[in-house]
Amino acid sequence: MKMCGIVFSNIYDSTMGELTAHRTVASMPFGGRYRFIDFVLSNMVNSGIYNIGVITKYNYQSLMDHLGAGREWDLGRKNANLYILPPFGTGVSNVYRGNLEALNNAMTFLNATKPDYVLMCDTTVICNIDYDEALQSHIDSGADVTVIANNEIKSYECDSNDFVITVDENGVVNDLAIGYMLDGKPLIGMGMFIIARKTLINIIESYVSRGRYSFEKDYLLSRFVDGSVKINAYEFKGHVLRNHNTLSYFKNNFKIMNEEIRADIFKSDAPIYTKIRDEAPSYYHEGCQVKECTVADGCNIYGRVDNSIIFRDVVIEKGATVRNSIIMQGSRIGAGANINYAIIDKNVTVSPTAELMGASSVPVVVHKGDTVNGK
Amino acid sequence: MYTIRKECIAMLLAGGQGSRLLVLTENTAKPAVPFGGKYRIIDFPLSNCVNSDIDTVGIMTQYQPLELNAYIGNGAPWGLSRNFGGVHVLPPYAKSDNSEWYKGTANAIYQNMSFVDMYNPKYVLVLSGDHIYKADYSEMIRFHKKKNAECTIAVLDVPIEEASRFGIMNTNDDDSIYEFEEKPAQPKSTKASMGVYLFNYDVLKKYLTEDEADPNSSNDFGKNIIPKMLGDGKRMFAYQFNGYWKDVGTIRSLWEANMDLLDHEVPLDLKDPDFKIYARNYAQPATYISSTAENINSLIAEGCTIKGKINNSIISTGCSIGEGAVINHSVIMPNVTVEPGAVVEYAIVGENCNIGNNAVVGTNYDNAESSDINICVVGKGRKIADGETVTE
Repeated sequence: MKMCGIVFSNIYDSTMGELTAHRTVASMPFGGRYRFIDFVLSNMVNSGIYNIGVITKYNYQSLMDHLGAGREWDLGRKNANLYILPPFGTGVSNVYRGNLEALNNAMTFLNATKPDYVLMCDTTVICNIDYDEALQSHIDSGADVTVIANNEIKSYECDSNDFVITVDENGVVNDLAIGYMLDGKPLIGMGMFIIARKTLINIIESYVSRGRYSFEKDYLLSRFVDGSVKINAYEFKGHVLRNHNTLSYFKNNFKIMNEEIRADIFKSDAPIYTKIRDEAPSYYHEGCQVKECTVADGCNIYGRVDNSIIFRDVVIEKGATVRNSIIMQGSRIGAGANINYAIIDKNVTVSPTAELMGASSVPVVVHKGDTVNGK
Repeated sequence: MYTIRKECIAMLLAGGQGSRLLVLTENTAKPAVPFGGKYRIIDFPLSNCVNSDIDTVGIMTQYQPLELNAYIGNGAPWGLSRNFGGVHVLPPYAKSDNSEWYKGTANAIYQNMSFVDMYNPKYVLVLSGDHIYKADYSEMIRFHKKKNAECTIAVLDVPIEEASRFGIMNTNDDDSIYEFEEKPAQPKSTKASMGVYLFNYDVLKKYLTEDEADPNSSNDFGKNIIPKMLGDGKRMFAYQFNGYWKDVGTIRSLWEANMDLLDHEVPLDLKDPDFKIYARNYAQPATYISSTAENINSLIAEGCTIKGKINNSIISTGCSIGEGAVINHSVIMPNVTVEPGAVVEYAIVGENCNIGNNAVVGTNYDNAESSDINICVVGKGRKIADGETVTE
């Protein structure tokens, strides 16, 4: 219990378009039965982090509904707790101007909690990681901050928010850029930082009061340029799925059908927990045709489904064809409907014979609860 | 000390060995036997209690209780982790004057009367842990009150030709019971007892105490308590249950009850959002169905990897079915691996089994008469070698 966790639930809301109109980015559905936040919470709990604050500013009803007291993540115990940290007072309903501003709202939590270290995490990066090893690396390095990062594939397209670093042979960061691919063998930050709790409290107080809100840009980058901060890198070697925007989110959902990635992210010795919904097993009816799919519990499938992610409690009626799509919880695809490259949000009704055609680079997004009319 | 009183608590008999389930209950109590892809048999009576607003359940265990105890835990999966009430596992225990196993169904409750007294209930519902059905007990309680009964027994109509396999209640027009016959050769009625009894606790307490004092009694509800109460002219009524009910005490009936989930004519709805069947869930990802898979009229739970052909079967949580493997009219219990090319037909495969490459389990009865079908069972954790053939 050396480290507590802080989860930022809203920071990248604006990158997911329609999908975050009614939810925080942390509650984005993923992989048939999960929300983004399940991965970071499960990783924390599996690493022995039992004091976790989830910072949130708006749209957090679905998140609160999902998390409850945290029982499903083995939190909500006497000595293991999940705190949802909404803003104090009323303020302008907007995303935080930066994670330091968000943290400023979590000062009560940071002051009251006991562990000496804080792990700060976004929710958009999906992986299965042991944070205890990262903490050990942080302590051994004697650095002020440890950034958890990985080596991305050659064709990786740098996102404007990416924290790009190069490191020396001791793992100490020797170059740093935000949103710019460095030469050499750069590592890309995974939105996860380890820092001493007392240090973090000091940074928040002195930076926010001067109108500086970004931990990465205002603190790390400018202090790094001054040479007044030592940053350690902990290189994570497992699979990493980064959800920068709707398109990368769309593609990442399909990656868990790769056997190697699936085994690496859903480990039996470090399970990913989520809210239990007590659905019955899924029913594959006579005449259905399901190929290359991820299917959660509670579905009734009569039609044809190819290369798709089917969340809980979905009905795909007879003669319907669903290809290359994500169908979220509780949606119903009517008889004879034809869907290709679509993201169908929760509780959508696609009427019989309706057609929805997106492209692999531009999937159609259907808003939560909408009805798509037939021909 | 609370002085709250519970109107009705349930006492669930889960101590039976279930020896007719053969290898499936070698190390597992019958109520903990997996069912329907993600459930265990006990999930049905427990969920029925919760859906009937009964929030206090004592589970009497005796035979191989470890797995059952671990499964029940603090009762949270069923919403039974309560401050006052909730679920309690009640094994036999040593007392100052004597220590004994549960001698019979009535004795099991007799030995736990101090537990019942803690809640001081008006009614006690006695249930057994080996039946698959969905029932709202609160309707039975209403019936019991309306009839001003001292004991109400749930019954269901069975075909007259099968009636001699059951305990049969012979009733008057007002549903009052005048006679109880255990497995009668010449049944007079088709009202079979479901093993669900509702008692006024004060009456039950008196009869359990008297029964215990009788050295000739076998301390059983069906054999002793019910006949004795009838003989004494107690107000006893039969509550008619309409719906699906199945005793899953044999391999054949367990297989049939699983297959019933794949029959659209059978009224057992696991998906009713107003009457859910709860179960302890283990964190498993959604199921992956590969491009080589084929699923025909089957139930597949989460956490599986399906690459083979599944026909009219139940695949439980955490199973892996290899490419080219065929599962036909079978029940695959949790965490089973079926290697590529293996064939499993008309079989029940116990938890954690491994069926080797090209192994054959069971026999194809696709064109056989139902009475000729002989279900093959593979016991929990067994490994079937590559190419091996197992038919019984």
